[in-house]
Amino acid sequence: MTAPRETGPQETGPLETVPQEPGPDAGDWLVAPELAPDAADPVMAPVYEAAARGVLALPFCAACSVPLELEQYVCDACGASAEIGTPGREWRDVPLAGTVHAATLVHRREPGLIVAMRPYPVIDVELDSGHRVVLTTATPSGQAPDIGAPVEIAFRTVGAVTLPAVRFQGRIADGKLLTGD
Amino acid sequence: MSQPPAIVGLGMTPMSVTAGPDSYALATEAVAAALADAGLSRDDVDGMLVGSSQGVREDRLGVALARRAGFGDLRLVEHLEIKGATAVAMVTRAVLAIQAGMARTVICVFADAPIAARSSVPGSAGTLYARSGGNSGVRGLERASGMLGSVPTFALLASRYLHVSGGTEADLCAVALAARAWAAGSQQAVNRKPLDEDGYYASRMISSPLRVLDCARPVNGAVAVIVSSARPAGAAGPGAIEITGTGGVHPMRRRRAGGESWFGGGGQAIDDALDMAGITRAGLDVVELYDPFSIVTLCLLEEYGFCEPGQAGKFVRGGGIAPGGELPVNTGGGQLSGFYLQGMTPLAEAIIQLRGAGGDRQVAGVRSALVTGIGGRIDHHEALVLAREAA
Repeated sequence: MTAPRETGPQETGPLETVPQEPGPDAGDWLVAPELAPDAADPVMAPVYEAAARGVLALPFCAACSVPLELEQYVCDACGASAEIGTPGREWRDVPLAGTVHAATLVHRREPGLIVAMRPYPVIDVELDSGHRVVLTTATPSGQAPDIGAPVEIAFRTVGAVTLPAVRFQGRIADGKLLTGD
Repeated sequence: MSQPPAIVGLGMTPMSVTAGPDSYALATEAVAAALADAGLSRDDVDGMLVGSSQGVREDRLGVALARRAGFGDLRLVEHLEIKGATAVAMVTRAVLAIQAGMARTVICVFADAPIAARSSVPGSAGTLYARSGGNSGVRGLERASGMLGSVPTFALLASRYLHVSGGTEADLCAVALAARAWAAGSQQAVNRKPLDEDGYYASRMISSPLRVLDCARPVNGAVAVIVSSARPAGAAGPGAIEITGTGGVHPMRRRRAGGESWFGGGGQAIDDALDMAGITRAGLDVVELYDPFSIVTLCLLEEYGFCEPGQAGKFVRGGGIAPGGELPVNTGGGQLSGFYLQGMTPLAEAIIQLRGAGGDRQVAGVRSALVTGIGGRIDHHEALVLAREAA
């Protein structure tokens, strides 16, 4: 089964998408607007600007093309500088595809910050570009996917900021149904 | 007479799960207790190292503690910050400062008070953690994606570990039960009620696969440890604890597709500390690990070379780290069932065990102990080998 690793009495929810209550402002399905990221943050601004266009952009070392972490400022492969706002940090559009590196279903919902009424997934994705990012799903979901499952990248909006998010692929893998949402 | 730097005093406040004095007041109380334990006065102390929890706290402990706790002139005052590895590293820094002649007697202090007076509801420490982190940088994206506090972070790590090792939640359960079994014998432990598998599985899921009983127990409290080249009168009672080995390693793993970013590299700190002490793993009588989550105990048993990769779960399920097991680990209940004061939790327990003061959870004949602190997502490792000083 594709459900999270919960076989005890805490088992929650069916495999299928769990209907979620809309937020109080009918905004994002998961979090309150106060959790909107700082769109002007120079570290992350190119990600949010690209996301608003439906594109996933991530940084690479301009010198040797190694995919960089979002908060990596020196290339660990070649030592080149990759400071923000310099040519050494090259932002490229990357494919909207990856696989699950790790996943959890978060049951604790902080009052005032989480508007979803049910446990929600947080997924660490290995992107085809070589980067790793931690995201939730684009639309309401009550399941954590299996590690290794292929996923697509879609988008959601929190406050005024568009963010990358995960979309499950509805397909059969290893004889198991990976349900879509 | 000057002798090698050794631990000569330990002071602990009661560990409280309800709001009370702030971290400065708690630290001052722990300082007084440590001085009394060592048989020293404030005038005997000429160095202070201070550690505190990360994140924004109004009462976050800093070097102002020197004045607040009533000290006179000091030769060394410093706030150290290596995330969770700080407390253990403070002892190493104290040793180095004493060996270098910067100070003779250094008090290392850590205090935390995450349970705030303005909220009396259970889980208020969780609320504090959930509301910390800001909205910039990668954390901004992660928090907007629902990753609040540190539990989901370690839940991701746990899901990956179980995938890689072939483990199951029964492994996590076994760690939590072992910690609770040790805690039953500890006067300092907060969670001492007997726990069985049914109780574990019935506990609230926080972020799969981590239940509340897989998570450290936040408390308000403080611990102070005195390192000195003198052997004050008080030390004649409990006896000084030698610091025979130290080690540290900070693996710079990258988060990149196709590899592991949370595991590996930490064992060097233990190898170095054991080499310095001139002993092997087999020579350790107790192992006190930094265990903010049950999963971390499993990771560290393998990372530190006590179990082969993927075998920690089996070892723990077989009773290997529990009372009566072949490798006593976190003998005061650790951070899971004992109390969460970062690196002071394993350090204090090692001192208690080496003094033979462990009461109902005392391991027989303890002569050497390993203490480790970790920081970040198992990114920083600091280790000490401690030994009972020959009379």
